[in-house]
Amino acid sequence: MAAKKSSSEGVLSRASSTISESPIVYKGKQVASDAGFVAKKLLKSTGKAAWIAGTTFLILVVPLIIEMDREAQFTELELQQASLLGTPAVAAPQK
Amino acid sequence: MATHVPPPATTSPVAAEAIKPEKVDYMNLPCPIPYEEIHREAMMSLKPEHFEGMRVDFTKVLNQRFSLSHSIVMGPTEVPSQSAETIKIPTSNYEFGANFIDPKVCYLIIDTILIKFLAIILIVIVIFCLSKVMLFGRILTDGRLSARLKCDLSENFTMKANAQLTNEPHMSHGMFNFDYKGTDYRTQLQLGNGGLLGANYIQSVTPHLSLGGEVFWAGQHRKSSLGYAARYNTDNMVASGQIASTGMVALSYVQKVSEKVSLATDMMYNYMSRDVTASFGYDYILRQCRLRGKIDSNGCTSAFLEERLNMGLNFILSAEIDHKKKDYKFGFGLTVGE
Repeated sequence: MAAKKSSSEGVLSRASSTISESPIVYKGKQVASDAGFVAKKLLKSTGKAAWIAGTTFLILVVPLIIEMDREAQFTELELQQASLLGTPAVAAPQK
Repeated sequence: MATHVPPPATTSPVAAEAIKPEKVDYMNLPCPIPYEEIHREAMMSLKPEHFEGMRVDFTKVLNQRFSLSHSIVMGPTEVPSQSAETIKIPTSNYEFGANFIDPKVCYLIIDTILIKFLAIILIVIVIFCLSKVMLFGRILTDGRLSARLKCDLSENFTMKANAQLTNEPHMSHGMFNFDYKGTDYRTQLQLGNGGLLGANYIQSVTPHLSLGGEVFWAGQHRKSSLGYAARYNTDNMVASGQIASTGMVALSYVQKVSEKVSLATDMMYNYMSRDVTASFGYDYILRQCRLRGKIDSNGCTSAFLEERLNMGLNFILSAEIDHKKKDYKFGFGLTVGE
């Protein structure tokens, strides 16, 4: 309603309404809301992708790392024991 | 892949003898894998028995020939429902089983309650069983009984029978298999209830390649199918393919990357319903554990770990995540006994 009365208002309100209704500002607002929308979607889909990647990594890779670590420890222990008990004929297993 | 490179002349004669692959002796081909085990390596690596909940198995060996097993399973089981939602109902049951393995002697089998129909035929055949007999029976608390019999009637001829009985009417079924093993081929005849009739044949064509075919007729559903299979294996890899006229095409490839690790991939395609599933998995067999992991094109990833805690004590963890259906299944268990 203030827009319709712009012709009968004072100078200040007329100037500010010109700025706020100008096409540049309008365009700027549109772009900002679009960018916000896209950013939100991107964040959500990145979040979803991160969730899927994270849980898949947890199921597939973490037990593997743990088991390989244990295997390496076990092998090292065996090697140590073999060298300690003095079995020089046993060659170290080449990996 | 069938061409062989002759070894260099500088290797020692013994080594050269061991790797001398030039002339293939087509009269002395090895015996092929049984037809139903064509995808065996891929199945073992890619399809471990995932479960949800808790599972404890206890196997007690009483004798050289006889062993008993007790098993407790508690957890949600899926009930097939019309809607897209999976309905899970917590169930628990206890299963008791007995195994009998006899290597050499002729036996008269007394407990014929194991198989309701064709019991007379079973007694007669087993009486004449002069070699190895193996019997496995399992009974669950919800009244399901399953029994398997494997009898080597002679060195090349084997008979297997398999029965599952339930309290619900029309849900019991049984099947007989007769296998004959030749020098480089195997054939099998299957007879089951509900008018099931099947036959398959597999032949070694070269030392690495074997081809086979099968024919199947299901009387109750009036369905018949024809299928072909091929399997190529070397020391490090196994590739197998199977196609059936019901529209199923299954291809699989397993590569042994080192003695502890093997990678497997598998693709199933149904050309009638245009449905494709591909999966890729790994299988690590270490000294203390066996870890199998797999990822699927249906957005399903799963892992199965068997860890040896002690002699005869295995700890099992199973995980299956289905991202598409948002269905998560985790299970743990213990296996006691060999």
